[in-house]
Amino acid sequence: MIELENVSAGYGGQDVVFDVTCRFESGVNYCLLGPNGCGKTTLLRAMSGLIPHTGGILLDGERIETMPRRKIAAKIAVMSQINTIYFPYTVYDTVMLGRYQHMRRGPFGGVSARDRQAVEKCLETTGLSDMADRLVSELSGGQCQRVFLAHTLAQEPDTILLDEPTNHLDIKHQIELIDYLRAWTSDGRHSVVGVFHDVNLALRLTDNMLFMKDGRLQSGGKFDEIATRAFLADLFDMDIAGYMTDSLEKWKGVR
Amino acid sequence: MKSGVKALLSALFCILCLVLGVVIGSAGLSLADTFSILGYRLFGLPLPEHISNIAVSIMWTIRLPRVVAAFLVGAALSVSGAVMQSVLRNPLASSYTLGVSAGASLAAAAVILSGVTLPLLPSLTRPAAGFIGGLMTVFLAMGLAARFDRNMENVTIILTGMVLGLFVNAFLTILTALSGDHLRLLVFWQMGSFGDMKWHACGMVGAALAAGLLVFSCFSREMDLMTFGEEQALSAGVELKRVKTVLLLTATLLTGAAVSFAGIIGFVDLIVPHVTRRLFGSRHRATLPMNALLGGGFMVLADLIARTVMAPRELPVGAITALVGAPFFAWIYFRRRGGARRD
Repeated sequence: MIELENVSAGYGGQDVVFDVTCRFESGVNYCLLGPNGCGKTTLLRAMSGLIPHTGGILLDGERIETMPRRKIAAKIAVMSQINTIYFPYTVYDTVMLGRYQHMRRGPFGGVSARDRQAVEKCLETTGLSDMADRLVSELSGGQCQRVFLAHTLAQEPDTILLDEPTNHLDIKHQIELIDYLRAWTSDGRHSVVGVFHDVNLALRLTDNMLFMKDGRLQSGGKFDEIATRAFLADLFDMDIAGYMTDSLEKWKGVR
Repeated sequence: MKSGVKALLSALFCILCLVLGVVIGSAGLSLADTFSILGYRLFGLPLPEHISNIAVSIMWTIRLPRVVAAFLVGAALSVSGAVMQSVLRNPLASSYTLGVSAGASLAAAAVILSGVTLPLLPSLTRPAAGFIGGLMTVFLAMGLAARFDRNMENVTIILTGMVLGLFVNAFLTILTALSGDHLRLLVFWQMGSFGDMKWHACGMVGAALAAGLLVFSCFSREMDLMTFGEEQALSAGVELKRVKTVLLLTATLLTGAAVSFAGIIGFVDLIVPHVTRRLFGSRHRATLPMNALLGGGFMVLADLIARTVMAPRELPVGAITALVGAPFFAWIYFRRRGGARRD
């Protein structure tokens, strides 16, 4: 469970997120939605301890700023857009690096049989088993994203924080990624908190929504309860429901 | 090819370089003679009659320390270059581009010119000065980078390091121009040379290298993770700030020790890590020891060329590494460009 109490956060002493209080139950998926610059990514980064914050962020009751990174990593993993890959690793090695927090430290610490099993299982779930020896730099964008998903799953966190990971992916791979994550959370012990641009994609993951605007939390709850036409129009500064229904009409006409 | 075979070939290359470095030269001693001298000096074995005392002395006090020092300096520079590239996530980063070399050589030059020595351990003076000089430049570069850019983006660090390096180099140039008697020594030393290497220099650089490799082997997974990005590393559980500081300090120690004895030798710390990665992949556990082997071998070879091509005149070894290195680097870089779909 992740609890936020009056959290403000930002960059270089300049807050972008103000006074957010909310709670993410374990085993439940959530989406953060809002227009560009509303602070949703910043909030996510604060929740994972990547940037400093004021107020309280508690992971299962413990304050995040006092926790060692390994302990945070046991609870939370972050998955964001694919970064530039400077130095190529094989798919297997990349996924194995996700096991870092489980490994023994020191010059002779290293990979245990359990680590190997976990990595093989992650490769299998993401359909990468026969690519294990390929270099990540040789893969397509969609395959690459799957490698990073496997890397994140290998970490075995309770919660995955998604930071618009679908930005460079085509529609098939976007849906594929969301479906993998839904399957991962279906056991009721794992959860995903995702930042999305695309409301439809967010809805495919969950209908628990948190809406943000101008760095503040506007409202949270089930999509069909809070997302009225007027509310969405105000939040995104355009008639998004009208746009969606117009598109739907066009799609209905497709033979 | 299996990486075991490649490692074996690299070790053979390395041994070949060392043997060539020891055997080729003006004293005209064969490999067997060299071993006889080694046996004589190390284990007190009888010396064959045809080997003169002068030959022993040349081999033991000039040739051998020179070859060993070249190997260790090459290894230290390559390993520290590889670490800098990974930590700063930039294929063009090196102790050279971070200003470490410039700072270390300015401090070492100041020590040479002033004749100051540490009271108890005079032989430690130059490496200590080199380390402190390199460290100060790194701290200054980091401090300035933090002022320009609060997020300390790696590009800012590298740009600041380069600018600062050029600035510090200007002082070195001025110092050199005003140095009078020491001019030749300083100029030659700025271009890199193994001309007057003694055993104690080998000891110093060797100790720094051993310590560095030990530290790096403790952090090989952390470095692997850091090459994927700082936030990735943090989120996987790496105590980034601490690890980054330890790694940069250790890399600086290696460069500082190497530069303060051998002068500025460019390109090795840039090329060798790239070649090694191509051969052995990016995993630091495999690639760092191989960097030491290949970097050491390459440096021995470069020094061999520097002292034999126009013998008895000696060329600066930095010029050789650049002559070999620059085209080689371009080839590696553009071949990679052509082959990779994404960069």
